[in-house]
Amino acid sequence: MRRGMACLGLALCLLLAGCAREARPQRRQAVWLDVFDTVTVLTAYTATEEEFARLSEEVHGELLACHRLFDIYNEYEGLNNLHTVNGSAGIAPVRTDARVLDMLEEARAMHDATGGRVNVAMGAVLALWHEARAVAGEDPEHARPPEAAALAEAAAHTDISGVLLDRGAGTVFLADPAMRLDVGAIGKGWAVRSVCERLRGEGVTGVCLSAGGNIATIGARGDGSPWRVAVENPFGGDYAAVLAIGDLAAVTSGSYERFFTVDGVRYHHIIDPETLYPSDRWVSVTVLAEDSALADALSTALFNMDGAEALALAEGMEGVEALLIRPDGTSVETAGFAAFRQGG
Amino acid sequence: MAKRNDALLAAALLLAALLLWGAARLRPGSAAALDVTVTVDGGEAARLPLAEDARLEIVNARGGVNVLVVEGGAARVVGADCPNQVCVRSRPISQEGELIVCLPHGVVIAIERHEGGR
Repeated sequence: MRRGMACLGLALCLLLAGCAREARPQRRQAVWLDVFDTVTVLTAYTATEEEFARLSEEVHGELLACHRLFDIYNEYEGLNNLHTVNGSAGIAPVRTDARVLDMLEEARAMHDATGGRVNVAMGAVLALWHEARAVAGEDPEHARPPEAAALAEAAAHTDISGVLLDRGAGTVFLADPAMRLDVGAIGKGWAVRSVCERLRGEGVTGVCLSAGGNIATIGARGDGSPWRVAVENPFGGDYAAVLAIGDLAAVTSGSYERFFTVDGVRYHHIIDPETLYPSDRWVSVTVLAEDSALADALSTALFNMDGAEALALAEGMEGVEALLIRPDGTSVETAGFAAFRQGG
Repeated sequence: MAKRNDALLAAALLLAALLLWGAARLRPGSAAALDVTVTVDGGEAARLPLAEDARLEIVNARGGVNVLVVEGGAARVVGADCPNQVCVRSRPISQEGELIVCLPHGVVIAIERHEGGR
């Protein structure tokens, strides 16, 4: 009789052990396609679905706010954003959100730190490429790169010192009527950092946020293991790298997803400020840094530099590592990059 | 008395065995525990068991087409009429959390746990 009861007890324990699993934080995921014209994924370990829903809403809300402020294609009711600033070029300063001024100030610092290889004042040049890419998408028969003369003329209006920020008044003014801002090189990274700062401040942990190749993590996964971040292989096949990055940000800029083709020639979206054409030295650049806005801007800047200059700059920056992959499949990386690779 | 104890023992062992078998079957990560979900323009359009082979043509509101194949416990996009073909070049997915996305078409294909199993 007692043996029977013991066995029933054992069976009951097994059943309960299965149920106890439910109390541990579970991995949950949300995907958004409506911010920064890219794929954004939030992965987090939360005990309940409700907790994740709240987290999700907060993250999406802040991303959407940044997306709207940095948007150069659309206006939003009651909001002065970069589209507004661009529209007021040569006319008047525009009063806008502090986030815009903060971001532009950092963008200018990154411009200066990289010898101008990342430049948010290059909007007039980038607009020609955006338009060419749009035409190519809708009407492939008539796809063409922008005219060289048009690019040269646009390039005359890209001096970042013409972006006038007035902290006291909270305004942005483009003195040159033909100047345009385009913050594609830093906007995502800045927004991701903004979200993570907020979450950290609230004591949130167990989060991985990826906005179109801009990845930042807070804490570890549910079982205490580090988040594993994969760097895509531009040529297909095994990942170029799998990294355990702790609380660092990892940003990859690549030329292999956003492009258009004319007569067999591929034109991607990272435009070299010097040549005014897509950079051809690299197909993928990954930057690791604590600051995801810095990593984002730097990944674009390094894309526009040759190997020696890129490595010298990255090695010279505290806490920064980089991996650069060439079109022929060879790569270079900073000395400290390998330490972040996971075995296999 | 002895026969009743044996019957109880047998019943308990059978129950334990059933529980272990069930737990192994639904163990996180096995194809039997996972679904392939298809979201189009923010709405869930389909949910298929990962363990069953299937072919699905996904068409969005603007007529954009992606063809999804589930085979051998993995999902992949075998064809699409989007301009950049990132979805077609993406590697097959089979683990919880993995995604294939067609941004131009607003399509997200994901591997998720069965609903309601928690």
